[in-house]
Amino acid sequence: MTSSAVTTVTTEPRRGTGFLPRAEFQHLIDLLGEDGRTVIGPTVADGAIVYGEVRAVSDLPVGMGAEQSPGRYRLVDHHDERYFAYAVGPTSWKRFVFPPTLDLAESHRDEHGHVSFGPVHHEIPKLAFLGVRACELAALGIEDRVLLGGPYTDEDFRKRREHALIVAVQCAEPGGTCFCTSMGTGPGVRGGHDVLLVELADGFLVSSGSEEGAGIVARLGLSAATEDQLVEGSDQLVAARDRIGDPVATAGLHDRLLAKLDSPRWAEIADRCLACTNCTAVCPTCFCTSVSQRSDLDGRTAVTERRWDFCFTKGFSAVALGGNFRPRVQDRYRQWLTHKFATWIDQFGTSGCVGCGRCITWCPVGIDVREELNLIAPPPVLGTEAQVAAHAPRTSVFHVDAVRPETHDTVTLALSTPDGMDWSRLHGEFVMVSVPAIGSIPISISRRLPTGMELTVRAVGPASTFVTGLERGAEVGLSAPLGHGWPVEAAHDHDVVIVGGGMGFPPLRPIVDEILAHRASFGEVHIYHGARTPSDLLYKEELAAWASRGDLDVGVTVDRADTTWLGRVGVVTQLFDHARWDGSKAIAFVCGPERMIQATVSTLAARGITQDRIFISMERHMECGVGLCGHCQVGPFFVCKDGPVFSLAQLGDVFGREGI
Amino acid sequence: MVRATSTPRPRLGVVKLASCDGCQLMLLNLEDALLSIAERIDIVEFPEATSHRSSGPYDVVLVEGAVSTPEQLETIHEVRREAKSLVTIGACATAGGIQAMRNWANHDAFRAAVYAHPEYVESLATAQPVSDYVKVDGELRGCPINGDQLLEFVAALLTGRRANLPDEAVCAACKRAGRVCVMVAQGIPCLGPVTMTGCGALCPGFDRGCYGCFGPREQANAASLGAQFVAMGQTPVEAGRLFAGFTGYAPPFRDVITELGGAPGIPAGHAPSPASTGTPSGGN
Repeated sequence: MTSSAVTTVTTEPRRGTGFLPRAEFQHLIDLLGEDGRTVIGPTVADGAIVYGEVRAVSDLPVGMGAEQSPGRYRLVDHHDERYFAYAVGPTSWKRFVFPPTLDLAESHRDEHGHVSFGPVHHEIPKLAFLGVRACELAALGIEDRVLLGGPYTDEDFRKRREHALIVAVQCAEPGGTCFCTSMGTGPGVRGGHDVLLVELADGFLVSSGSEEGAGIVARLGLSAATEDQLVEGSDQLVAARDRIGDPVATAGLHDRLLAKLDSPRWAEIADRCLACTNCTAVCPTCFCTSVSQRSDLDGRTAVTERRWDFCFTKGFSAVALGGNFRPRVQDRYRQWLTHKFATWIDQFGTSGCVGCGRCITWCPVGIDVREELNLIAPPPVLGTEAQVAAHAPRTSVFHVDAVRPETHDTVTLALSTPDGMDWSRLHGEFVMVSVPAIGSIPISISRRLPTGMELTVRAVGPASTFVTGLERGAEVGLSAPLGHGWPVEAAHDHDVVIVGGGMGFPPLRPIVDEILAHRASFGEVHIYHGARTPSDLLYKEELAAWASRGDLDVGVTVDRADTTWLGRVGVVTQLFDHARWDGSKAIAFVCGPERMIQATVSTLAARGITQDRIFISMERHMECGVGLCGHCQVGPFFVCKDGPVFSLAQLGDVFGREGI
Repeated sequence: MVRATSTPRPRLGVVKLASCDGCQLMLLNLEDALLSIAERIDIVEFPEATSHRSSGPYDVVLVEGAVSTPEQLETIHEVRREAKSLVTIGACATAGGIQAMRNWANHDAFRAAVYAHPEYVESLATAQPVSDYVKVDGELRGCPINGDQLLEFVAALLTGRRANLPDEAVCAACKRAGRVCVMVAQGIPCLGPVTMTGCGALCPGFDRGCYGCFGPREQANAASLGAQFVAMGQTPVEAGRLFAGFTGYAPPFRDVITELGGAPGIPAGHAPSPASTGTPSGGN
């Protein structure tokens, strides 16, 4: 749609349906190509019907179709005159509105260490999509919700979407892997188009779905379609629907599928699944991406490139220090299938699947989601925004005002912005820290300052190692604060239990700051910090100062002592499993390694703190920070956007589940 | 604040074992970038480019070739001692290469059949990847390696970031490039789904299946792909043989060859396991 991509309500001018004789189809192609538009449509290449440039009728797949079955696609010659008698092939329109690779930003670091960040501007081509099917219109609508639904939006996608004129063609020749009927997306077009064509034996029924489409149709100067022609068109559609049938029982599928997270079938699928990413790559709605930096040899100029990424690769769910939240192929397949058919609905109010069948046809080993869904979650029966035009956050240049070493590999940096903005008023739990040519990493805010913040960073990978080596006066790029933080206000008039393991302690420090600023608003406050060794303890002086106030209970422990250590030794839960406080009045805030969180949570639960009063911060592979790249998904949540702080009640049985 | 300018230039060595030199040539083929690289890196050893020899220590050493002779076995241990970081380049160094085909056969019989004076040829019974003998810090895959990946590796080395060398399947690059799957649309067997990307999906762009020269990707489900080749009409031996190329000795591919047959040089119906050398500690 050329206007307002998100609202796909059809404002049908309904000037009736015209008839375009087949011999005059070139006239339509020429009209679409006016105003500098390139017409993209079906064409035969490399043994398939793909989408490419169409200048003439002879570019179209005249008389061609394809046989499709799981893992198999073969062109067939129907020996007739039809142009659109095929079911969708391997290309989807996603490629044209959400390119496989895209340069997002450019960054620089000069010889004095000054850094700068800027966007890369792209010329957005004016395109006309010719031959868009009902399932594909549905897919574009889903992408609108995902990428433009907010709070962060993909402005490049918006422009490409708005620059594309859509000529839909009614489906008359479904393929052997289609199931749009089950997903409720087709085969009939129900809006989202500028022009709609129905191909008949001798020509095309033509109608419009937008003002711009109406203009084009008017210029074709068509005669009105006859009653017989209209019947021929609707008969074709009915026949198409009958041929597809209803292969997937979708009623209640969301709940049925999520109830089968422990099905043995996941492992059986993994025996066949190649984790090759083809299903996600051909899917018209899969939107996950990764970014990487290309730089010159000196690292002075770098370009941040975004590319399609896929939840089937190991790197997709990897985190620092070699961790991986979905180590097995069965975890990744489960993630993909449950996201498409269940948690997508929780996130975006629509299924992520349109039933186009591409993932079935183009799976090299022919795994059939229709079959798998019916096997994993067989039916009994029954079943089911406010958009903010804010682009992904801009990177601002911050100055390092002070550097305080915490341990041999960890420092606390005080950072301020030269633009004088009051950062203390911006909500959010973490920032993306960017270093030109090296990368971008999420770091929790460990203290809010009037013009900036403190970040406590441990040298783990290249970017964090670089950041920990920054000196006073150095520059670095920071996003605006992102994510949902600790609900400290909810702890007013409650006792507070704060438990931080290792590098999980810094994100908790702003809670202590907040409590100290309004000490009378809180009850008893217990702060527990565990570290591997005495030399890994953070904020030692601050902990001592808090302990000496008399109105905070501070406990510190290490896993392994050395000769200098006279304090507690043991895991952090030992600090409070027998402490003399009453959990029924407490709210807990917990952060640390996953295993430490699990142990802590069960101890806290045993002490009487209910799940709605235990808040944890989750670690996942966060890349974009704004819920658009897909990496950090946990069940129905994106950790960056919906978290990273969650209550246990919110997480439900997602918490602690392996491979999710 | 900026370290790169003050640090001394890294010392880089290129060391060749049993190989065709094609991967070293990729370094020379960088042409435009080569001079810039030479300004920023001390290339202290590079047999394809200069006869000048220098022993280590090296900050980084690129090792080309498989370990195929007793002398190379000594060399690789020596190089490991001299190198802060040892990076293997190419199918021979990372997977054993073409010469590892002899690991399935009788090495003495091969030697006698090929050479007039086999007694002059000193070689180990098997050709092994470098990682079977010493710890390897990084790999550049391929036969030969890819120039863009090499340049990315060098740029990352100089800037101190992690090189962007994805562990995904060839399929990912193939689909981003907008190619049509040759296996699904034409029934051509393709190793792309189990092979590490890095070549830009070259062969499927020319209507050929992937030959697997970048070797198995992480968790390569080669058994499932082999079974699919059989389902598509290949005999088990034909299917197994498809894996027995440049990187056939790499474990997931080797296992399929053992399972289906098709070991190099072995007639159909005989499917011995490859010779095992009782390899070595220190592998990764």
